[in-house]
Amino acid sequence: MEALKNAFDFSDQPRLDLTIAAGVALFLLTFPLLPVSAFALATMIQFFIFSLYGMGWNTIGGYGGQVDLGKAQYVGIGAYTTTILLIRWDIPFWFSMPIGVVLAVTWSFIIGYPLFRLKGHYFAIATIATSLVLKDIFEVWEFVGAARGLEISPIEYTPPDFLRLIFKEDIYYYYVLFVFFLVGILYLNWFRKSRLGYQLRAIKDNEDVARSLGINVHWAKIKTYAIATAYVSVVGSFHACYIKAIEPEDTMSLDISILIALMAMLGGAGSLWGPIIGAGILIPLKSYLKEWLGGVAGLTGMDLILYAVIIMVISAKEPRGVWGIVERVRRRKQT
Amino acid sequence: MALLEVDNLSKDFGGLRANDSISFRLAPGELLGLIGPNGAGKTTLFNCIAGKYPVTSGRIVFDGEDITALRAHEVARRGLARTFQVYTAAGDLTVRENVMVGCFMRTPSRRKAREQADAILTDLKLADTADLFVSELPVAAQKKVTMATALGTRPKLLLLDEVAAGLNPGEIEDIMASIRHINDQMGIAVILIEHVMELVMRTSERLIVLDSGRKIAEGLPEEIARNEQVIKAYLGERYVQEHGGEGM
Repeated sequence: MEALKNAFDFSDQPRLDLTIAAGVALFLLTFPLLPVSAFALATMIQFFIFSLYGMGWNTIGGYGGQVDLGKAQYVGIGAYTTTILLIRWDIPFWFSMPIGVVLAVTWSFIIGYPLFRLKGHYFAIATIATSLVLKDIFEVWEFVGAARGLEISPIEYTPPDFLRLIFKEDIYYYYVLFVFFLVGILYLNWFRKSRLGYQLRAIKDNEDVARSLGINVHWAKIKTYAIATAYVSVVGSFHACYIKAIEPEDTMSLDISILIALMAMLGGAGSLWGPIIGAGILIPLKSYLKEWLGGVAGLTGMDLILYAVIIMVISAKEPRGVWGIVERVRRRKQT
Repeated sequence: MALLEVDNLSKDFGGLRANDSISFRLAPGELLGLIGPNGAGKTTLFNCIAGKYPVTSGRIVFDGEDITALRAHEVARRGLARTFQVYTAAGDLTVRENVMVGCFMRTPSRRKAREQADAILTDLKLADTADLFVSELPVAAQKKVTMATALGTRPKLLLLDEVAAGLNPGEIEDIMASIRHINDQMGIAVILIEHVMELVMRTSERLIVLDSGRKIAEGLPEEIARNEQVIKAYLGERYVQEHGGEGM
């Protein structure tokens, strides 16, 4: 009960922020009812998806300071679990999603145990490697469709199918995700002020001091990594039902892992609203850039150049992202 | 029964013997000062006791349990807390939140951790800084926050590593009062590494002197002040020959 109360406790947030958040929530709630294009709606769905990925990343990467560049493997585990269970045994989303979480979290424990013996850049590189290895395995594994991937064919179901999350119109997906989005925020709000959340911030600051306060540093990181993984896997499962065709190359690629980390870092790693701000800036930008420039020969890689520029600017100017700028301005006003 | 029993503890770093067969005992509630020139092995001894370094040989018994092989977080959970020499406190957490991290060792509840943290902050006269970020405080207050955080784990023994370094006389008085409060009112045993002689002589019930990794003396503060070997260690052989060991 106390945990539930704490999840809804935003009392440490400035009133202005909460007003803005409420305004944004209201906007998101009514957005599909406005006369918007299908493209805009699809972009917003991507915004939710990457916000949630970013929130997950923010637990271990932001509050914990462990730069994880291998989250795509868990998108894959979630997406593949849901697709395989659906097309082979007709197991619907609401059952396959938790199974996907269990598998993803189990996998995260197996690789997290050795990974967290590493620190800093070595940890980051190792996370990339594990993710790419899993992708390579999936590309040759016939059971999961190898490099061709798997497809959910919507003709076999009668949409709207809320149990299997098979819909014709994006608006259904939009609202299901909106609920996930709100739950994701509440969980993150609980997490950041939970025992583990505080311990993680102490670890980020100084591991020796954290140990002297009775914190099992290695285990705390593994646990948080599992939480981040659960977020990503849930959304991966959703993604499979939404996109209906998955293959290793687009569910588990390095791009996805980097984009996930980038959302949170651009918005503000280790802050409650950071991942949402990051996704809110980056996803529309990416989506529309692709739309405008994608057709022009020789400009297809523009979005990648954009990420590179963002990474450079963040690391040189403001490691705490957009939220870091907001806080700096606030502190200056106070004094 | 002794609260802490260190038995022939040695610690090597490669070819360097940083601690050489050190033995001592500490009674529950005692306040022990640990002094010695720079490089004597004081902080290494703390690190061995607190489980940061594995010992080369010897035995450490805390509260009736052999903790020699335990890791730092396991030692902490048994009631042995410490502060660090150079570390201040997590700058992006408030003072209260820093202390709460300590309290979370014994309770998973945010509400309880907060209540306990506030009580400790009141005890150490830090209550009015609770909502400030640690980075906004002067160094003396930051040092007290690290003590408060360690106290959050509700230890039986607190190891303080140079909490008074770099402070002015007024701040030293204040820290001394806090240490006495922790020892007398809270009943927590304390081992104090300190270079500020005035503080260590006035607060400690008993002193241990290390030099080049060895324990060279142990006794009451006034005995130590007159101990020839200690004066040699601090001021050199020639000083003692010229002045005939007249005390510090």
